[in-house]
Amino acid sequence: MSDPSRVVIQTVGLTREYVMGSAILRALRGVDLAVQEGEFLALMGASGSGKSTLLSLLGLLDRPTKGQYFLEDVEVSSLSRDELATIRGRRIGFIFQSFNLLPRVSAWENVALPLAYRKGEFGGDAQRKKALDVLARVGLKHRAGHQPMELSGGERQRVAIARALVTHPAVILADEPTGNLDSATGEEIMSLLTELHREGRTIIMVTHDMNIARHASRICTMRDGILIEPESAHVPG
Amino acid sequence: MSLAELIRTSVRGVSANTLRAALTMLGIIIGVASVIAMLALGNGARAAVEARFRFLGANQIQISSMMAIDDGEMVSAGKTLTYEDGLLMPEQVDLVDRVDMSINASIKARFQRATLEMNVLGATPAALESMIGAGEVQPVDRQDGEALTLESYLAQGRFFTLAEVLEHGPVCVMGSQTATDLFGGDDPLGQTIWVNRNRCEVIGVLAELENVDESQRYRNNPNLILLMPISTVIQMFYEDEPSVQMTAFITDESRIDEAKAQIKQYLRTRHEIEADVNGEYQDDFNLTTRKDILGAQQEAANTFSLLLAAMAVVSLIVGGIGIMNVMLVTVTERTREIGVRMAVGAHAKDIVFQFLLEAILISVGGGILGVVVGILSIPLAASLNQGMALLQPSSIPLALFVAILVGVLFGIYPALRASRLDPIEALRYE
Repeated sequence: MSDPSRVVIQTVGLTREYVMGSAILRALRGVDLAVQEGEFLALMGASGSGKSTLLSLLGLLDRPTKGQYFLEDVEVSSLSRDELATIRGRRIGFIFQSFNLLPRVSAWENVALPLAYRKGEFGGDAQRKKALDVLARVGLKHRAGHQPMELSGGERQRVAIARALVTHPAVILADEPTGNLDSATGEEIMSLLTELHREGRTIIMVTHDMNIARHASRICTMRDGILIEPESAHVPG
Repeated sequence: MSLAELIRTSVRGVSANTLRAALTMLGIIIGVASVIAMLALGNGARAAVEARFRFLGANQIQISSMMAIDDGEMVSAGKTLTYEDGLLMPEQVDLVDRVDMSINASIKARFQRATLEMNVLGATPAALESMIGAGEVQPVDRQDGEALTLESYLAQGRFFTLAEVLEHGPVCVMGSQTATDLFGGDDPLGQTIWVNRNRCEVIGVLAELENVDESQRYRNNPNLILLMPISTVIQMFYEDEPSVQMTAFITDESRIDEAKAQIKQYLRTRHEIEADVNGEYQDDFNLTTRKDILGAQQEAANTFSLLLAAMAVVSLIVGGIGIMNVMLVTVTERTREIGVRMAVGAHAKDIVFQFLLEAILISVGGGILGVVVGILSIPLAASLNQGMALLQPSSIPLALFVAILVGVLFGIYPALRASRLDPIEALRYE
């Protein structure tokens, strides 16, 4: 696609502390991470290791207590809520463990949701067309008019993936994308993500399952708020 | 999000739980219906006053006997208000120009072989002036723009005089139709007709008259009429002295209060009413001016309107709190949805608008139903307020505006709360 050496994400000393009454919980203690375009990074770690906190920071859903975060060379750690929302809507695609589709809203409208919040850029027809294109890409064009209730778990996650893809984001952040699926369906979803990776998408995935993590091109492990880059699991995609 | 998309989203949000939305609307429905009914009452009272005004001009004072109920019957509370009280008033009271009064009796009129069953109108010498003043009938041969004169109402002879009225003169003036019916083609002037068992001399015949209001023309014939002095009618056809309702016309309407005082003084003297130990008078008559009607009417309407206004305010506040409550529940229930929307790029403003619009949809839905209920309840309000309630068209947009206002006022807090949710917390919410 483009220059493979381009750095999409760069964090320097990323720190996140929570004040819990009189105690201070250090969820992240200075994470330095660089993710290049086209990488498929798996973040592993036990629960409470800080991997979800890191993903939230990378997804601009939260701001670091300390440290810097460059997303496509822009320092984003000090932007306002609405500025972060704008970047989220344009440059980041989310895939959640529990799909997080809007109920009573058709698949294609769920997919088009990020476009709907980009004021004046996409009319209703353009939204629908783009959404249908992406649904076709994940093999669900025939289910475009169905509501989440009428879809299977795997189909729901495909719709969610389509929603993450529809804006052509700089990075797709997946939080335990197979956590709510049986292993066969989980494998299908992983092969879809692997395909997307092959097409050049940048993906960061949080998982605690080594079987899932092995699909990634690079695996990092979090422990006690610190990022450990293991030398063993480094398999370039 | 475009407004259309926002509205679609909000409609979807509300319709996801229609029963809840409908129940929430109740307060607004009652509140808005009260507003509609309240304004209809005010409007009805105003219309009723205006209708009365047509019969009671600004220079008129209506005088009637004070009535009391005695053994189930309405009787005069003191002395009867007699025609003489009225007849002498213009002479005795400075500011009174003339007094209109009349009394009816059903009689049989006969001349030779011809008989007519009809009403006789006991009138004052000023009856023709009153006729001109009321402006309801005019001579058929009147030219456009021609001034109405007393003469133009008389075809033949003359009208009766004050002296004739005071001495119960057996004289009469008849309408043109009456003259034709009784006398064929003969000249009625100076003839004597029988009215029941009394002789009565014809001293005048009215010109042919027609109703000014064309819709009234076929209803009653102004030419089939027999006028006699009010005193004569009472003497001939009434056993007791009847109480007469009269209208005094004031020379200067700016001095109507003064005129009222003068009339009061005059009637107290005639009825021998003296101040009691407290210096108060127990009057046996009522004086009513346009201002009095306005006051009384408005007072009645105001009392009722106040009640409705209180009801409207209370129900709108209760309705608003209901909306706030439901919206807070909705926001909590849909925390994850809010998180998702934030994750995919919704700004705080988008979230605020979405939930504010839902609140407004509920309140406007309630507002529309309230307008319907309000309009349907107008007959009920009218029956509780002496038939005076009339839909005020401007109350509909006003009521809807109030509904929107309630939606905004009580929807803004839940909406702001939704927009301030932490996206991470919201996404994790179970």
